[in-house]
Amino acid sequence: MSKSTAFKSLLARHEAVLVLVILVEVVLFQTLGRNFLIGRNISNVFRHSVEIGLLAVAMTPVILTGGIDLSVGSMMGLCAVLFGMMVNSLGMDPWVAGLAAIAFGALGGGVNAVLITRLNLPPLIVTLGTFSLFRGLAEALTKGAESYSGFSPSFLALGNADIAGLPAQIWVFFTVAAGIWVLVHHTTFGRSFRAIGFSPEGARYAGIPVARNTSLAYIIAGAVAGLAAVILVARLGEARANAGIGYELLAITAVVLGGVSIFGGSGTVGGTLLGWVALAFLNNGLTRISDYRIMDQPVASVARELSGLLTGLLLLAALAIGASTKTLAVRRARKQSLSKPTSTPATS
Amino acid sequence: MKRKTFVAALALLATLPFISCSKSESKSKLTIALLPKSKGNQYFVTCEKGARTAAAELGAELKFDGPINSDPAKQNEIVENWITDGVDVIVAACENKDSISTALKKAQSAGIKVVTYDADAQTDARSFFVNQATAQGIGEQLIDTAAALTGGEGEFAIITGTLTAANLNEWIKYIKERQAAKYPNMKLVDTKPCDDQKDKAQQEATNLLSAYPNLKAIIGVCSPSVPGAAEAIKQAGKAGAVKLVGLGLPSENKAYVKEGVTQAVILWNVEELGYLSVMAGAAVAKGELVAGAKEFSAGKLGVKSVVGDNIILGKPFVFTKENIDQFDF
Repeated sequence: MSKSTAFKSLLARHEAVLVLVILVEVVLFQTLGRNFLIGRNISNVFRHSVEIGLLAVAMTPVILTGGIDLSVGSMMGLCAVLFGMMVNSLGMDPWVAGLAAIAFGALGGGVNAVLITRLNLPPLIVTLGTFSLFRGLAEALTKGAESYSGFSPSFLALGNADIAGLPAQIWVFFTVAAGIWVLVHHTTFGRSFRAIGFSPEGARYAGIPVARNTSLAYIIAGAVAGLAAVILVARLGEARANAGIGYELLAITAVVLGGVSIFGGSGTVGGTLLGWVALAFLNNGLTRISDYRIMDQPVASVARELSGLLTGLLLLAALAIGASTKTLAVRRARKQSLSKPTSTPATS
Repeated sequence: MKRKTFVAALALLATLPFISCSKSESKSKLTIALLPKSKGNQYFVTCEKGARTAAAELGAELKFDGPINSDPAKQNEIVENWITDGVDVIVAACENKDSISTALKKAQSAGIKVVTYDADAQTDARSFFVNQATAQGIGEQLIDTAAALTGGEGEFAIITGTLTAANLNEWIKYIKERQAAKYPNMKLVDTKPCDDQKDKAQQEATNLLSAYPNLKAIIGVCSPSVPGAAEAIKQAGKAGAVKLVGLGLPSENKAYVKEGVTQAVILWNVEELGYLSVMAGAAVAKGELVAGAKEFSAGKLGVKSVVGDNIILGKPFVFTKENIDQFDF
């Protein structure tokens, strides 16, 4: 077994573990909760988590390059506010304003990209700065209090209607996720993300335009954050500066849970998707149990509070399992390579 | 190895249909869902207490759930989950009026009745709003309490939040009207803004005390002004000589009330608000309370008046040294 295929099988195993986790969740919530596996609820699970899913798939290329983007949640707040202003104050068509919001997102991502690739500043610090900057800008534009609403029903349908039995926004999500999957796994451009994350110097010597390709990852993340903001506004019917608060951490959680190395270089978009589904089921499933009683006491006040705790446990458990299987695999490989010369070729 | 995992997964999947069958649902009970602005807030915990009493009296099932962080999307998600569960009525305190209305309208089109309390939604997203206090009720209660403490005479001053706050100005308007009509021997000498800050309120109160040595009472109409003014009166050694009345939570004023610096804190009875909201929700769900009604019978609270589509909780509640220990919000 060559080193790279061993690595691939490890990732596949991580994904299999996630599939199992998801199945265990489904069984658990279906058994303990009410109305978990019914069309309407599953539809809600995805409707409510599309924004975080979008941020997570767009965060994947960024993390693959060894970077991170903490500013996407704040970017959602800023894009939501800009969108609201364009529609309400400038009277723009919501669809045109939506595209403009995505463009603003890309622009914000571009700011991150320039600071990171041209000035060689650490992504964590740069995006920590823009994390405050974008949210602050959104709050300043609205004086912290103003909000925008009264959008047309055809626009609100993007957030609330169903298309072919599924929430309208899930189709947008599928398109974006498929696009990023193709980019990351089926183009030389996308493969360079992992090469950069694995070794930026090596990538540079291999002739990869590291700065340009890394920039693209941040610009995509910004644009997708803009899209997520538009979808959130369509779902809520209101644009506010506090849109997407804390979403960046949930997105990063989904990515890391999906087996993408936080140091860059390894991971898949499929893994991120599984991590996202595991989190989405966990959050919704806990609310399904909320109707239940223990010793005749309603446990409604417990379930939602548990979601943070269990999210943390799930992430740590997945990482621990991943790390221990890797250690075991390395140990086994070493043992095999030691025993190989003595074993006869006829044994198998 | 990989194949084994998938076989295990498939086996688990195969057990699903059996598990989902073993469930019983009781749908005969009326299910009322109560949504607070935020779940940990003591104000809404107190609402829940009243709501539970009402649900027990009605023999109804009460679901109480709300956001635990500042994510503006959370209230909507909770409402949509309740639509899935097919509750009979949703009783909501709205954090973001416009966004929650989107979800509440969805609930309405799914045949679920909607009543709001504490903070209203868009008027077409609910059938009734349980109004905890009218501006007139608050203003009149404040001046009546101050008048009772000062014997209806002498100089008094008001500390407000900002001079531009519409709701505070509305209350002050009713304070002035009531004073002119009922307490001609009282005189409003000054109205100072405290920018909703306790420190600023303390400073303004100190200035008022030295500028008007004959001051008999201070009325605080925003909640930070009451403990702020109390601290000023205490430090000036005028506790009891200058009466202090204001709007606020009992918990943040308890110490001053017990020391005798603050004579009365005014707020609606929050537990009764929760009780009334659930009673109203149940009445709407059962079709007993319909548009155009003038009053409805709210259990132990008796008959409550309905003004338009507002159900009025009634006169604000006065918290004093004698009763403040019974409240923990």
